[in-house]
Amino acid sequence: MPFALIIVFPFLLAAALAAASARLRTSAQGGIAAAVMGGLFVTALTQLGAVTEAGALVFTVPWVPQLGLSLSLYVDGLALLFTLLVTGIGIAVMLYAGFYFDDARKSSRFLGLLLAFTGSMLLLVLAGNILTLFIAWELTSIISFLLIGFYGKEAGARRGASQALMITGGGGLALFVGLVLAGTAVGSMELGDILSSGDLLRENGWYAAIAILIMAGAFTKSAQFPVHFWLPNAMSAPTPASAFLHSATMVKAGIYLLARFSPVLGDTPLWTTALPLFGLATLLVGGVFALRQRDLKGMLAYTTIAMLGSFVALIGLPGEHGLKAAYVGLVGHGLYKCALFLVVGAVDHAAGTRDITKLGGLRAQMPGFAIVAAIAGLSMAGVPPLMGFVGKELLLDDFITDIPALLVIVISATCMVACAARIFWDVFMRPTPHSHEDEHDDGHHGHALPRGLVAGPAGLAALSIIAGIGIGPLMTPLIQPAVGEPITLYLFPPYINPPFIVSMVVLALGAALFFTRRFWLAWTIPTLPTGTSLYHGSVRGVERIADQVLKLQGGKIRYYLAVILATVAGLLAIALVRIIPFSIAPITVSNASDALKAALLILSLIATGYSLLVEKHIVAALTLGLAGYAIGGIFLLEPAPDVALVQFLVETLATVLIFLILARTSEQERRMAMERLWGQTRPGMLRDIVIATVTGVAMTIFALAAVSSRPTPNPISRWHLLNAPRVGVTDVVAGIVTDFRGTDTLIEITVFGMAGLGVLTLLARPQPGKTTPLIFKWRRRKEAPLKLEQSSADDDQEAPQPVMYRSRFANPVTQLAARVVLPVAFVIALGHIAYAGVAPGDGFTAGVIIGLGIALWFVVFGYQETKTRLRWLQPAPLIGLGITIALANAALPLLIDREFLSFSSISSFSLADIKLASVVIFEIGICLTVLGGVSTIMEAISHPLEAEPL
Amino acid sequence: MNTLFAIATGIMFGMGIFQILRRDLIKAAMGFYILFAAVNLLFLSVGAYDGLIAPYVDAAGQTSAQPSDPLVQALILTAIVISFGSYALLLGLIAVTSRRFRTVDSDEVDHLKG
Repeated sequence: MPFALIIVFPFLLAAALAAASARLRTSAQGGIAAAVMGGLFVTALTQLGAVTEAGALVFTVPWVPQLGLSLSLYVDGLALLFTLLVTGIGIAVMLYAGFYFDDARKSSRFLGLLLAFTGSMLLLVLAGNILTLFIAWELTSIISFLLIGFYGKEAGARRGASQALMITGGGGLALFVGLVLAGTAVGSMELGDILSSGDLLRENGWYAAIAILIMAGAFTKSAQFPVHFWLPNAMSAPTPASAFLHSATMVKAGIYLLARFSPVLGDTPLWTTALPLFGLATLLVGGVFALRQRDLKGMLAYTTIAMLGSFVALIGLPGEHGLKAAYVGLVGHGLYKCALFLVVGAVDHAAGTRDITKLGGLRAQMPGFAIVAAIAGLSMAGVPPLMGFVGKELLLDDFITDIPALLVIVISATCMVACAARIFWDVFMRPTPHSHEDEHDDGHHGHALPRGLVAGPAGLAALSIIAGIGIGPLMTPLIQPAVGEPITLYLFPPYINPPFIVSMVVLALGAALFFTRRFWLAWTIPTLPTGTSLYHGSVRGVERIADQVLKLQGGKIRYYLAVILATVAGLLAIALVRIIPFSIAPITVSNASDALKAALLILSLIATGYSLLVEKHIVAALTLGLAGYAIGGIFLLEPAPDVALVQFLVETLATVLIFLILARTSEQERRMAMERLWGQTRPGMLRDIVIATVTGVAMTIFALAAVSSRPTPNPISRWHLLNAPRVGVTDVVAGIVTDFRGTDTLIEITVFGMAGLGVLTLLARPQPGKTTPLIFKWRRRKEAPLKLEQSSADDDQEAPQPVMYRSRFANPVTQLAARVVLPVAFVIALGHIAYAGVAPGDGFTAGVIIGLGIALWFVVFGYQETKTRLRWLQPAPLIGLGITIALANAALPLLIDREFLSFSSISSFSLADIKLASVVIFEIGICLTVLGGVSTIMEAISHPLEAEPL
Repeated sequence: MNTLFAIATGIMFGMGIFQILRRDLIKAAMGFYILFAAVNLLFLSVGAYDGLIAPYVDAAGQTSAQPSDPLVQALILTAIVISFGSYALLLGLIAVTSRRFRTVDSDEVDHLKG
């Protein structure tokens, strides 16, 4: 199903553009993006015939069938209309955006976001599952946040972006609840099922909740009064993004949602009251507020709000009555509004301001844009034969008998006529105002515009004319499937009807309003409490409460931890009370092995306890190591040789690691920390002891319950024993690690590799004079100011001592040992890998053994020498290589239609005693990842401090 | 025997928790390490049977005597490696703390204070 791929393309291209950023000229980037939009547009157009015939096409890919989730597309007339609108306007916007930025990097970031936005919008309108729809809805909110906040260095952009996200995100939450309720009421999350259950939904007890929640989502997204204010504040976005946001995406998503659900939720008193009420209020507010805006983008934003209000009101009308008018208006609005925004972007570029009071006379400088502005402005004003005229006629026709509504429409439309005239005349035609003397010196004037910039808006303007004149033959095939019943569209009514008369009156009133602008622009109007101030008030309130709450924070990690642990201990105790009566097996020591185990257990407890009491870190580390070895001994006696081997090795490595860390932290700091160790108050100590005791007791009860109620014989363990030979191993533990629970292992080595990289990111510093890997570049920049702040905050102003980490163990004997040990480690490791399936030891063991050899190098030779001598050691790539090998090998069986990780299905052959099965390759992958992780950690920790720019 | 293991697990867990609550970050990291060890001990003791030999089977999946439980061993094996990774990350964080704040005393790092 190639059509289903339509939603994937924008995302793919977004990623590709991000990767190719600096290598492509901006115009080429825009061209490619526009070409893809064009391709998608044509693809969607080819579906028109099939959709008209079938009503709706459904494409389904099962995703999580257990949860009823599937990736399905539901393509009907409505979805297709929006798809065509998004991709069609997308062509112009992308083309324009390619010329908008000078900087190729900025341009690629912007186009990438824009493409991802297009993809989310397409997913939204084509989604065949309401959960997919919701995800796409949230995606558009998030990406619009990124677009509005594109110039994140400006406070206004940040404010506008977070405001838009708060409001549309809040609406998204409401929508989610509404959708889930609707899905539960119908019993299916598939859009097709829901659309055929209109009566079921309307008669459901939750109908009102569903309708109101879905309306809340749509109203916030489509900037309806009283939450309309985010849209004008969102004009901090780069202009091409604004154009797209206003004309075809984002705000139109709310309209789509209402149109989508109106067949199943509409025709009820709630729907037919609320929608026209809010819609008309929005229409009035938008139109009136637009008039006095000084910022061109603000003016356009308010007219968008007004138009959105009219669409909402139309969708709320009973039956399919208003849909025709809404869809015609939608297309017409998209065409002219996008063109106007693009014109404003060019004006901003050329004149350095968008303030309408400072602009004028740009006709000579940018004649192409002047013509575009004239055409789009005429469409906005609703002058025949443009598309906007048809939309306004249909709107008036639907409300012609409703006098209050008609009045609202007339007022708003009059305002819009005046706005259109102002945008054209005051920007392009009238002489430049000279009120601002500094204007000529700020160097903003005379920016040459790229030649191609005008192409996009010119195309849109041309379409406004073509679609207006050819409204019948061109638009009927597009709109009719969306409305769902036969419609007729015409430019001029066959006879002079009331809407036409009202329309002409509106034009006359608008002209009058325009010519009297000097007069009413001088009025001072008291500022009313607006949504913006309410919003800021509530945000401030939340911040004030947060300040109070913050006072509770002591800032000491131990206290947070104590509260968390006390809570856990308490909850654990409550849970454990219920399982308390269980029989405890008496402690019996039946044989020598048991006696030895008990002795080792007690040894490990004593050693651990001593590590608690001792002050010196080195002694504590050593005693902990002793405890670890004792536990290793217990593993050996279990008998669990594989585990014991790893335990011994890792214990050694951990002790080496903590020694290296101790060498990195200054002795003075450690001494201070140690002195304070027992210096705390008596109640404080008591509290810690109580928490530790309660947790310990709870854990003991839990453990006792666990060991005394374990299922014997455990069927899964027996199964593993019996089936081990099937996967070609005799060491059952190795079989579990590599095959039965191989996915666990894969994830585990990935986690381990990530931990290693995490340590590297934390500790590694770029070396002077060496090219730094990209991943560290941002750290260096970010680090510098932090350092300054740190040193100025220091009380004693003493320059930090550059601590030199130099090996104290460098002597000929140790160096020889290190050199000998590493190759030996390799040989041992190889043996472990080869005999992983039949003897103790496996990939982990091998990795840790080589890692120990390398750790010895770092200890003996120090960082610099190790790095110069062991040139082959590239820890981070090793991690990647290891994971890739393991993953590729695990995926290999898929090629022969077997399951992931089922090595046994791949033929293995034995060489001497060694099974050269594919499992060996898996072990090699594990070994490389672990080796990479260990060496990354060692390298990062033994990195010389003197290389730091302190 | 398993009862003894369970009690030891509990004691070790309590000691780990106590150690985590210290001001000294290095000691607190050691506390985590004690917790890891305690949990591994618990895993071992809930194994399905008290084995006499290591879980190695012949070609038919049979053993000469009762083997120890291989499943818990595989889980511990994974846990050991992961806990080492987390321990390393913790120590790395401490090294960074020491560098930025010139202290390893957690009470001195109080930027969260309201």
